[in-house]
Amino acid sequence: MSARGGVWQRSFAVSRKTWLLVGSGCIVLLLLIWAGSGTAWGRASYPVLLQALITGLLLGGVYSLVSMGLTLIFGVLDIINFAHGALMALAMYAAYLLVTFAAFNPYLSLLITVPLLFLLGFVLQRFVINRIMGQPAENQLLLTFGLALLVENALLLIFTGTPKALPAPFAQSSLHLLGAVVDIPRLIAFAGSLLLAGVLYFLLSRTTIGTAVRAVAENAQGAAMVGIDVRTIYALAFGLGTACVGAAGALVAPFLSLDPTVGEQFTIIAFVVVVLGGMGNVAGAFLGGLIIGLLQEIGGAFFPNINKLLIVFLVFVLLLLLRPQGLLGRKA
Amino acid sequence: MASPPFATQRHARKKQPGALLRRSGAAIFLLVVILVTAACGGTSGSSNGSGSSSTPRVIKIGSIHPLTGALAGDGKQMDEAVRMAIDDINAAGGIKSLGGAKLAIDSVDTQGDPNVAQSEAQRLVNDGVAAMVGTYQSDATAEVAKIAERARIPLVIDVTAADDIMQQGYQFSFRIQPNATAMGTYGARYLKAISDAAGSPVKTVAYIHEESDFGTSVFKAFQAEAAKEGIQVVKEIKYNAFNVSDLTLELTQLKAANPDVIAATGYYKDSLLVAQNAASVMPNVKAMYGVANGAFDLPQFPKDAGKAGSFYFSSNYHWNALSSDANKIRSEFQAQYNDEMRTPAVFSYVAVQVIANALERARSTDAQALRNAIAQTSLNTSIFPFSGPIEFDSHGENKNAQPILMQVQNGSVVQVYPGQYAQARPIFPATPWSGGTK
Repeated sequence: MSARGGVWQRSFAVSRKTWLLVGSGCIVLLLLIWAGSGTAWGRASYPVLLQALITGLLLGGVYSLVSMGLTLIFGVLDIINFAHGALMALAMYAAYLLVTFAAFNPYLSLLITVPLLFLLGFVLQRFVINRIMGQPAENQLLLTFGLALLVENALLLIFTGTPKALPAPFAQSSLHLLGAVVDIPRLIAFAGSLLLAGVLYFLLSRTTIGTAVRAVAENAQGAAMVGIDVRTIYALAFGLGTACVGAAGALVAPFLSLDPTVGEQFTIIAFVVVVLGGMGNVAGAFLGGLIIGLLQEIGGAFFPNINKLLIVFLVFVLLLLLRPQGLLGRKA
Repeated sequence: MASPPFATQRHARKKQPGALLRRSGAAIFLLVVILVTAACGGTSGSSNGSGSSSTPRVIKIGSIHPLTGALAGDGKQMDEAVRMAIDDINAAGGIKSLGGAKLAIDSVDTQGDPNVAQSEAQRLVNDGVAAMVGTYQSDATAEVAKIAERARIPLVIDVTAADDIMQQGYQFSFRIQPNATAMGTYGARYLKAISDAAGSPVKTVAYIHEESDFGTSVFKAFQAEAAKEGIQVVKEIKYNAFNVSDLTLELTQLKAANPDVIAATGYYKDSLLVAQNAASVMPNVKAMYGVANGAFDLPQFPKDAGKAGSFYFSSNYHWNALSSDANKIRSEFQAQYNDEMRTPAVFSYVAVQVIANALERARSTDAQALRNAIAQTSLNTSIFPFSGPIEFDSHGENKNAQPILMQVQNGSVVQVYPGQYAQARPIFPATPWSGGTK
């Protein structure tokens, strides 16, 4: 157990080897596409492959959005948050209420949902999650899973299970790029994901609070000894993670219809992404999200009639065998 | 796997058993709160089924639907429709041949899980229900039908499309809704009929459907009937409805197959996604055509999809919009629950009518007598666009069940085929991106 690294910095400790790995993966992918375009089959399916690439990247952006908060919470608090998807649904419903009843622009609603979710996360950690800090995993699982049930069923009670769609300004608009389609709302979500990754990077590596968060993630007792208020940092980190998923919820609401269980489908993928990127590694989660999205769609282009997640899980199992610490994680 | 930075802290905390106890106490308290909330949601309203002392006996009808989970939207409506049907029958004097015996609902929640459905069905049996209505999901219905058969208690299936449930030789299960085969078969026939009538016959279809038993069996029936009608299915694409969040690639693949028509079978959210993504991809087709599609004929579809939902066809089981009985029930439901009654709930309502009708003729709540009475049902109803009264064949399937073809026109869903149920003429060829002329 070395003292180096941190929520963000862990990524750079192994950077050369890892980037080589990721880079060679990308090159293989490009080679495949290039070789494919040489054949008649490849030319015929060129628009499909290009679309797969674009859709995969955009979808991967959404996965990254959801996963960054989850991995941050894991990295700092060592808690596996099963309520993550439910909190995302909560953010989506908040955006829905703001748009339908207060005539907000869905993207302006971010200004309210993100602070709101941050506050909720902060309070939740302080009064609920804090009680199970450092306890056995099954206690944490029960509590966060219970929270998820509570939130989802409360939403069900209030909004019923009928799927709702958000009236969004650019919902039907799209760009056409070399014969492929780029939906504007998905592009905005992708940009939001990039922005969020940038903000988190800045926050964690360039600010005093970020340094404190990293210190607590490394060694809570040591951090306490140098005068960091560990309890506040825990609540802050959980709040940050929740704010991230709040942003994710508000950004995907314009193109996904919402029901109380909408977060579940992302929770499962987010766990895969978090492990893939290296648990607790925010840069890893960002990269992992993009990789899963691309894998899913490009796999879908080559094998149209099998469950797309099957390909994802297959590669995931292989990765666990070959590199159990995740792409950007370090050996424990 | 990752470094546990709290190893030391964990030890520190374990030194205080009191604090630990307090903490787990809080966790248990939270669990109890959750369980109580869940229990309240699941059994509300079942308490009124126990008063059986006075002269008008109370006959319990089990309602088994997904009241929580991903399918709760329709499940809750279906449960409410059962309740409303029972209230209506009671208000009209109950079961007259049994001295005005009243019906009472015994409502349970499948949570959308076949295992839960099985244990909850057993609970209904133990509660002494005379008959059951359910369940909306094929895999859950399969479990409930098994229990019904073993306990020899009639099950009237309101909504569940999968064919094989009724192929088990069950004596106690009956289905009102057209099954998957009927929906796929009629879907192909209607497509042939309207495209021929429009002078623009369809030769090729590319088909996208969700990958479970429901989507697959509807697709297979469609493909078989289409082949007979001279329509070739040139591409089939499947997807998982529960984790799909983008179908752009799939629609691009369908577009690349260059079909005359794109057909789709799925649930609400994924089918809405089909419409939204198709509006971006803009495949060069004559029509977008739903077969047993869970979205294209719903009243909220034109609102949610906006312009992207125009001209969508949907061949599906549905109530008959020309029937005054159907409209009366739907406005009663709207008034009572402040929610627009959708097709599955209308089926649940009629399922209770079928049971009440059989109870009248059976003059008994004896399970075997009731079962025989249901088997001999011949119930005329204008609520559905069926080809005749509700009558069950030897498998328990409704002989006269048939779907109806609808289309989104001017922002609302109208019936367009067969002619006797048509509110408007079908507009074909037409897509949202090409408009009414192609």
